[in-house]
Amino acid sequence: QTPIVIKFSHVVANDTPKGKAAERFKELAEQSLKGRVKIELYPNSTLYKDKEELEALQLGAVQMLAPSLAKFGPLGVKEFEVFDLPYIFPGKDVLYRVTEGPIGKELLKKLEPKGITGLAYWDNGFKVMSANKPLKTPADFKGLKMRIQSSKVLDAEMRALGANPQVLAFSEVYQALQTGVVDGTENPPSNLYTQKMHEVQSNVTVSNHGYLGYAVIVNKKFWDGLPADIRTGLEVAMKDATKYANAIAQQENDKALEAVRKTGKTAVYVLNDKEKAEWRKALLPVQKDMESRIGKDLISAVGKEATALGYK
Amino acid sequence: MKFLDHLEEWLIATLMASATVIIFVAVVHRYLSGLPIPVVQDALIRINTSWAQELCIYMFVWMAKFGAAYGVRTGIHVGVDVLINQLNTPWRNKFVIFGLLAGATFTGIVGTLGASFVYQIAQHSSTSEVLEIPMWMVYMAVPLGSYLMSFRFLQVTWAFVRTGELPKHDHSFVEGLDEEVAAGGKA
Amino acid sequence: MNALIIFVLLFTLMLTGMPISISLGLTVLTFLFTMTDVPIESVALKLFTGIEKFEIMAIPFFILAGNFLTHGGVARRMINFASSMVGHWHGGLALAGVLACALFAAVSGSSPATVVAIGSIILPAMVRQGYPKGFGAGVITTSGALGILIPPSIVMVMYSVSTNTSVGKLFMAGVIPGLMLAFFLGLTTWYLARKHNYPKLPKANWAERGAAFRKSAWGLLLIVIVMGGIYSGKFTPTEAAAMAAVYAFVIAVFVYKDMTLKQVPKVLLDSAAMSAMLLYIITNAVLFSFLITSENIPQAMASVITDMGMGPISFLLVVNVLLLMAGNVMEPSSIVLIMAPILFPVAMKLGIDPVHFGILIVVNMEVGMCHPPVGLNLYVASGITKMGITELTIAVWPWLLTMLAFLGLVTYVPAISLWLPNLVYN
Ligand code: NA
Ligand code: NA
Repeated sequence: QTPIVIKFSHVVANDTPKGKAAERFKELAEQSLKGRVKIELYPNSTLYKDKEELEALQLGAVQMLAPSLAKFGPLGVKEFEVFDLPYIFPGKDVLYRVTEGPIGKELLKKLEPKGITGLAYWDNGFKVMSANKPLKTPADFKGLKMRIQSSKVLDAEMRALGANPQVLAFSEVYQALQTGVVDGTENPPSNLYTQKMHEVQSNVTVSNHGYLGYAVIVNKKFWDGLPADIRTGLEVAMKDATKYANAIAQQENDKALEAVRKTGKTAVYVLNDKEKAEWRKALLPVQKDMESRIGKDLISAVGKEATALGYK
Repeated sequence: MKFLDHLEEWLIATLMASATVIIFVAVVHRYLSGLPIPVVQDALIRINTSWAQELCIYMFVWMAKFGAAYGVRTGIHVGVDVLINQLNTPWRNKFVIFGLLAGATFTGIVGTLGASFVYQIAQHSSTSEVLEIPMWMVYMAVPLGSYLMSFRFLQVTWAFVRTGELPKHDHSFVEGLDEEVAAGGKA
Repeated sequence: MNALIIFVLLFTLMLTGMPISISLGLTVLTFLFTMTDVPIESVALKLFTGIEKFEIMAIPFFILAGNFLTHGGVARRMINFASSMVGHWHGGLALAGVLACALFAAVSGSSPATVVAIGSIILPAMVRQGYPKGFGAGVITTSGALGILIPPSIVMVMYSVSTNTSVGKLFMAGVIPGLMLAFFLGLTTWYLARKHNYPKLPKANWAERGAAFRKSAWGLLLIVIVMGGIYSGKFTPTEAAAMAAVYAFVIAVFVYKDMTLKQVPKVLLDSAAMSAMLLYIITNAVLFSFLITSENIPQAMASVITDMGMGPISFLLVVNVLLLMAGNVMEPSSIVLIMAPILFPVAMKLGIDPVHFGILIVVNMEVGMCHPPVGLNLYVASGITKMGITELTIAVWPWLLTMLAFLGLVTYVPAISLWLPNLVYN
């Protein structure tokens, strides 16, 4: 019989952590379901761009996507903006407790009325700050034009630091940094490195102030219509692909940071505890300000997970 | 009908002007807020202009959809007419009418697809990223603009059947240039 | 097979004379309705999101700026300045025409607009001075083509949009080829003028040159705003275009006072209509390129070409022939939007630099605008001179040959395009 085709579209290159994880998922799923499914990968926005892929999924034009979590706010599920909050996850362990525990499941459920089924969370990693001057204390941000991706939370974050946030498309960032249209930006190290932004930034600060991640989602109608055993097979494959995705994200980030260091042209600075406390002091009010958008209960539930793991 | 014509013209000219002013203001704002002037800088940074780009894009998309309809009425859409211009008049006319009706059909279909798309999007309460306008409102440009365009194609077809004349945009015409030529004679 | 059906359908529809945008759209609809399982709703989505990109918005802004400039006396002042500089050589006024076209090209993003702005002033003056009509028309038709090679350039924005190449780099890359081509066109003009002993203008002294420069300075300053603004990091290319529009408005209405506030709405309307036409082609071309990517046509093309063992040299030759052929029937924006998504992936596979490839396409487009049957510059020049297209075609050929030779040079010497952007960006 002819295999069920699943079109999996994403906006990054094949050799990025997300691209590799998508390829791994394809391998695993096709192997275990022995010719009953065919996963077609469309990397690099070949079919749909960042701005249109969610609508394309809702229309059923593609079946599977892995958009960044920030995309779900505009879709009407503002709770997902919790992932953008500065210093919400004191460590990876807290993050995983959230994404793999009831909070994460609850969040994915909220996508269902939008015609979307969430399957998994994939890491991209914690973000570093970069600019053409050392960024050690919040005062160093004063008046800097900082590129962010479009998000109310990130806007508030940069303003809390005294910076002037500028929304720019990811593809424009390199040139904007080079010419000085913007002064700095925030990224997980792997994005900074693969986009060569370190070439045009003299200073990188490892602040781990924010998190960037993806959710793998499918069209709900398509998913519910699949034979139960295929669904199970895909879920198992997704579970393994997720492990791989998270491991590789960490690896790539470590490698990228090391590579940036090695160039000798960009200074990589790791915040010490005292400085980190200052950053937290400046940024924690953002969590409070965003309570009305994201939900007070959700934010405190994430806080409780951190406390449970011994963070204060 | 005159009212619709004026509304159309007024809308696209206004969108053009406003988008220009908005980007101008946003750029000036970004520049000024980068200057380290005490107090003023703080005040400027507090003003948020991050919506400017998004608004400009949406204004231009709307301008493009309605401008395309206006373009049908004024004959601005370019086609490959070398071949049909070699034909005798009755045959050429047949092709012209075919082309116009094809335009009406295409834009009519797209308008309908757009309407159904808007309807589906409206079920999901999604909004734009910065301004948080409901996306179905933003996407209304597709059905509205396309239906208007379809209507314009039919209007032009009707006029062509009756009078044998097509609106023709002269791409080489620039207004106010006659005076320039006169002045240029002195060059 | 699908590729064949798609292209045959497209060309058949195009040849019936319907708008190119409509033939693109109808091709996609027909194909989607009958042959694939791509949901038809994605058409409506693409029709909106196809132009939902800030980079594209440079096009309406540059058109608006250009229209304020053509209305105002910017062109006339540039011609006066150019005449004072080169007018005393053989074919003085014609050489001034080339220089003025190059100057105007540096503030305008369109070629036909450059022909209109410079041609409509300088051509009557040339005829009065005793030049044969065809000579003037030949000079200006071809020099006007510089409008899309010397930055800013609407065609470069189109290329950047369909291939994700940096607009800033493309603009920078256009500077040297633009100046070179201006020089070659000037040389051709000078040679012909000396041969036929065409008139010279009296030599201007430096005081006169200074005065002419000062009068044209407001227009020339726009070059600084656009290019300087982009490279100093004041603006992104789209923002630079918006700034240019505001600036052009201010000098046309308040500084040169060549235009009254009452005329502004008409300029806005005309610019909006012209932009809408281009944006409508872009939307439908995006739809079309969505179709050909869904059908994996670029990949298939790429593998055919590599299987044929074609290297960059022969590939570029094929590209030139293909684009010159397309230049016979279509105008540049449509050619770039239809061809770039197909040719670009192959070019990348063969290791051709995306910026170099873009400049090569732009030079091709310039040639296409200057020869019949479809050549917008030619039409415009024919409108100004009231010469027939056939007559004009003969008049244009010496410069057209120069352009073709230059095309060969740009094709096979990437350094001409890449030297400056590499210098600036590294
Ligand atoms: Na130009
Ligand atoms: Na041509």
